[in-house]
Amino acid sequence: MQRSGLRCPGCGSSNIVNDDLYCHVQLVCVDCGTVVSEGSLADDPVGGSDVSYSRSTAVTKVPCQNLKKGLSRVKEMCRVIRVRRNIEDLALSYFQQAYEHENFIRVNLTKKEVLAGCCVLVSCRQMNWPITIGTISCLLNADPALVGGVYKDLLKILKLEALTVGIIEVLEAHCQEYKINSDQVPEELAEDCTVLTKRAKALVELAADSWIVTGRKPLPMLMAATYLAWQSLKPNKHRLKLSLDKFCRLAKVQKSQSALTRITELKEVLCKLGREIPWVRETVTPDSVIRLVGDILENRFALLRRALRNHEDSLQAENVVNSPNKETASSKPQELTENPPAEDRGHQGQESESNWGKRVLFAPPCVINRKRRRTEQPELIVTGDEEISDSEIDSYIRSPQEVRDLVQAEKMLVSSDKV
Amino acid sequence: MDSSSDEALDIIITNVVATFRTRCHLNLRTIALEGTNVIYKPEVGKVLMKLRKPTITASIWSSGKIICTGATSEDDAKLGARRLARCLQKLGFKVKFSAFRVVNVLAVCSMPFAIHLIDFTKNNRPIASYEPELHPAVTYRIKNLKATFQVFSTGSLTVTGPNVQAVATAVEQVYPLLFEVRKPLCK
Repeated sequence: MQRSGLRCPGCGSSNIVNDDLYCHVQLVCVDCGTVVSEGSLADDPVGGSDVSYSRSTAVTKVPCQNLKKGLSRVKEMCRVIRVRRNIEDLALSYFQQAYEHENFIRVNLTKKEVLAGCCVLVSCRQMNWPITIGTISCLLNADPALVGGVYKDLLKILKLEALTVGIIEVLEAHCQEYKINSDQVPEELAEDCTVLTKRAKALVELAADSWIVTGRKPLPMLMAATYLAWQSLKPNKHRLKLSLDKFCRLAKVQKSQSALTRITELKEVLCKLGREIPWVRETVTPDSVIRLVGDILENRFALLRRALRNHEDSLQAENVVNSPNKETASSKPQELTENPPAEDRGHQGQESESNWGKRVLFAPPCVINRKRRRTEQPELIVTGDEEISDSEIDSYIRSPQEVRDLVQAEKMLVSSDKV
Repeated sequence: MDSSSDEALDIIITNVVATFRTRCHLNLRTIALEGTNVIYKPEVGKVLMKLRKPTITASIWSSGKIICTGATSEDDAKLGARRLARCLQKLGFKVKFSAFRVVNVLAVCSMPFAIHLIDFTKNNRPIASYEPELHPAVTYRIKNLKATFQVFSTGSLTVTGPNVQAVATAVEQVYPLLFEVRKPLCK
């Protein structure tokens, strides 16, 4: 069979035929006998023709290895947390969608694993299953900041909305981690989980009402509430003497550093309410308030109302006493006309700022312990188009002598380095 | 804004970022050698120059593009930029002060009441984002003004926006939303 279009390199004729040698395909020139081209045995690359994996049909039949691993990781995590079937399916579908997106397709394997965890997190949040970012970071053994970043990207890319998890919902799961059943620890230190959860829940609600919870990380708050609940359920000598550190070791839970500050803040709030109890005669201190916690929590709404009312009454009484003084003080600034008005306004602003935190009974702790601002310099009126004098600019330029000295010093440094 | 409160709110501008061009190539080595208060970063390819009055830090690139940060008002930023351009002129470059533009303004504001962040997030669901485990503030973005808020439970806000007017308008817009979630203890 003649092959048109081909020319023999030896003699230039176009008389080329297919002359197979056994299975070996060959094109041979009839006139001079040169083999123009040989078959697939020599030319084709090893392993088949030169088509990349992504262009072949194999890619549609078999999904990417990492996608399969990611999907199985999602399934594993869902089984570990023991979520419902619909949450697991939702997480799998989110992972499938997110994996293909350009933000996640070419990242390193750690990030892909974190993505799997975030898909589980989003699905749990959407189905009202209480879970924290801390739990997911623990499962993945990853940095919570990285998990948070990937979580936010995922929400943006898939255009999802997820509810912020309430602290009360996570409380039950948190309390179950504490191993203080009667078969695990001595009788006087043991506590039933449901009773403990109920008491801790009341404490967390009280903390939320008095501004200790908003804006803070949930885990230290939960730990503080559980510890105080445990102490107050049987306030005997053993329990009161046990510090948070030892309690965490007893219950085999990792201690959180900020829990200590939360405990102090919560005890202060309990003291404020404890002072309102009519049948308590002795002074209420943070140490002695633990025994009163049961009574306080049972009647907390009434005590809160009472405390606020008493606080308002005392403030009004103070105002009545202070107002004659204030009237004389207000006339003074009018006389001092040389004071720039900005300074006066700024000073009054600062006073009223610090006052509102001290005026109310319950406020976020940062407001009550507000750091004093450094006094600000008086503002000059600047238009942006003023004249700039030469002397000002010269202060930013080195004189020629200084430049020469600098160059010499550099040379000396370089030569001393070489030596 | 004053109609909804007895006291006026103080919006304190803490940072203004502006850019401008010098329309000529700048030799960074000369600037590093002959200028005072200068840090040369050859690995990044820029020079940092700090001015004393107003307190401005400028990043100078050899293409002639300059970014000034640290000013406390738009006019301050312009004055600082012009001072910087004059300084470069004195060093021997043919500088033409052009394309001055304020890029970003950061301001801080303080409300005289605490804010219940969970209620605020619930009321403004898709626009507000709150993750207490990651950051103690709610992030609230106003798309048409291109302003971003960080709202803290103590009543402090930080706002970033493209210019001072946008920042002021944004605070006015967000004030009523914050006012309705200042939580009185109503038990």
